[in-house]
Amino acid sequence: MNHNILTQKKNQQKIRIGRTTTLFIAAIISLIAVFLISISVGSVKVPLNQVVESFISPETIDPMMAKIIKTIRLPRTLATIAGGACLATAGVLLQIFFNNPIVEPYILGVSSGSSLFVGIVMLAGFKFGFGYIGPIGMFIGSFCGAIIVMSVVIFAAKKVKSINTLLIIGMMFGYVCSAATSILTSLADKERIVNFTLWNMGSFAGFTWDDVKLLYAISLPFILFAFLLSKPLNTFLLGERYAQSMGISIPPFRMLLVFISSVLTAVVTAFAGPVSFIGLAVPHIVRITYKTSNNWIIIPASCCFGGIMAAVCDMGARVILSPMELPLGAMTSIIGAPLLVFLLVRKNQE
Amino acid sequence: MENTITTKNLTVGYGSQKVVNNIDIEGLKGKIICLLGPNGVGKSTILRTLSGLLSPVEGIVEIEGANLAEIKSAEIAKKLSVVLTDSVSPRLVTVKEIISMGRTPYTNFFGKITDKDKEIINDAIDTVGVGYLADRFFGQLSDGEKQKVMIARALAQQPKLIILDEPTSHLDIRHKVEVVRILRNLVKERNITVILSLHDIDLAIKGCQTLLLVKDGKIIDQGMPEDIIRKGTISKLYDIKGAVYNELLGSVEIENFKNGEKIFISAGNGTGINPYRAISREGYDIISGILSENDIDYQVAIAICKGVISEKPFEDIKEETINNAKMEIDSSDFVLDSGFPIGKQNIANCQLIKYAVSKNKKVFSLRKENDLKKYFGECQSKITVCHSMSELMEKLKKGR
Repeated sequence: MNHNILTQKKNQQKIRIGRTTTLFIAAIISLIAVFLISISVGSVKVPLNQVVESFISPETIDPMMAKIIKTIRLPRTLATIAGGACLATAGVLLQIFFNNPIVEPYILGVSSGSSLFVGIVMLAGFKFGFGYIGPIGMFIGSFCGAIIVMSVVIFAAKKVKSINTLLIIGMMFGYVCSAATSILTSLADKERIVNFTLWNMGSFAGFTWDDVKLLYAISLPFILFAFLLSKPLNTFLLGERYAQSMGISIPPFRMLLVFISSVLTAVVTAFAGPVSFIGLAVPHIVRITYKTSNNWIIIPASCCFGGIMAAVCDMGARVILSPMELPLGAMTSIIGAPLLVFLLVRKNQE
Repeated sequence: MENTITTKNLTVGYGSQKVVNNIDIEGLKGKIICLLGPNGVGKSTILRTLSGLLSPVEGIVEIEGANLAEIKSAEIAKKLSVVLTDSVSPRLVTVKEIISMGRTPYTNFFGKITDKDKEIINDAIDTVGVGYLADRFFGQLSDGEKQKVMIARALAQQPKLIILDEPTSHLDIRHKVEVVRILRNLVKERNITVILSLHDIDLAIKGCQTLLLVKDGKIIDQGMPEDIIRKGTISKLYDIKGAVYNELLGSVEIENFKNGEKIFISAGNGTGINPYRAISREGYDIISGILSENDIDYQVAIAICKGVISEKPFEDIKEETINNAKMEIDSSDFVLDSGFPIGKQNIANCQLIKYAVSKNKKVFSLRKENDLKKYFGECQSKITVCHSMSELMEKLKKGR
């Protein structure tokens, strides 16, 4: 009898592991599929077989197509996937940091803080004659904005215990940053505004290979870094005090979380502008799909799902009113905002 | 015996704000130590400081002879574990995962659970008896089950000391008792020291070897419950108003609003307790007698009744005592016979009832009719018999 229960339990465990592995394989296959389709669709349609061929033997396909893939679609798609992964990971970290399932960089105003500083760098810098601002300059500006807003929100979080108040503070701070950004916009040179306005609504368009390289150079190590923190992150599921009682040194760990999530948010915002709700939606979808909160699973899965969600939204932005392009923020908000409302309502019911 | 935890001249608080001063605790190995005191007095602050989650304002906490402030938190986690009042409900985390978290201080960088860890986790699960919950999600459990899981998690840390902040709050009586029983087993079988705070005075007095009474920013007394809990200790500790706590019986007797009417209750052998409670709830002043001071009714009577006429334990009732009782009957509006057993020593109570009838008092009885005739003879016809407490209440009101 006992033996039976034991084997049954072992089987259950096997099933669980099997399920997780299957889901990972499915996620990776979907990610690859989305990657290929994302390169294929747009104002000029590149057939899927040509997309695949362009990786295997680039010289055999139409040079026009090859050029589109190489200079426009490929960097854009790579950026979208990395961006989604960064935002989703930042969302996981912030949700754990605030011990609350409904926070993410955009809602807390971190993305808006980032954009304001990018705006300052981009517009004011140009105006005062610094000329071209490289991707590193943009990233640094973006990071300063992120860390400043993050500090304010953390400071506010210490004073107010209610998460709803915290959300409002974050949103209001976001509004202030947006207002400052629009003031900047109206002062800036007209030719710069077109790009900036598009960027400020969130868009993965116009990624250069330099941007992509920097994006990957920063995001990969920091996502890996976040992943390696899974053990202490898991203890945080019981709240800060329990984590401390299990041997986690809280102050350095908190700083680390803030730092990593700010970098991840900033690197996306620097090039793609403020992208909403991916950081919120993805960790939730992943937790529900994988039926766990174990961060060894949640973080890599969030990267896959984040990449998929960002790429799908980006495709939507390109395709729906093609050849006109919609802002990415509109797409992610349409999916994300109802989800946030749903989560808030359910939380209140609990 | 060796000390697991010692505090020297410890003052706890937040920042420079002192909450409790001069705490000297010697936490002997294998003991349950309980903090008792009113809400907001600083019990949680003390417990947090003892567990290293809060720095002391002054003084030091030593665990197994080493200053807590000088040990790395990862090392502290191997010596002591906690069960906090923080309500945690992580979503989609199984009970087994929660308990496995207890291994955090021991596992490698990737948090790998080895076979040895598994053994310890399973042992913790078995000890606390939560095996049947292992695969459930923590969020779906009841408060009692959650608390047991958190204790199993604390145990998986293989601590020398477990600190629990109000572990029995929100639990039903079955789980309260279960939690205390689990802790006592840990103390007895594993020589673990347990420090906790409880609001269940009775559980604390009966279940813990050492009590610390906390009040007004200091420890007002500490020691074995039987040594430090005397008559009035608890009422004083909690500043109880409008009720009386009986340390001997562990019961709270509530003072009630008065309606100005007086009833004399003749009781004994436990028959008085229910009428005392029911009648005082309705606002009557109760005088009870004649009770031997070793009667259980006496303990409740002194808490509830306005006056108690009693006789020294094992003494026959003296003439003077009977006269006192008669005087009380004279001034009472009603007299109640609680249906006490009648024997050689308390035959006087039987005579008191007869006296009341002869004085034309309204006399009620909770005794069976047959017995009534046997003990009171022809007086019986003038006594109103009540078969239940609610019937008695109704008749009392009508008699008014």
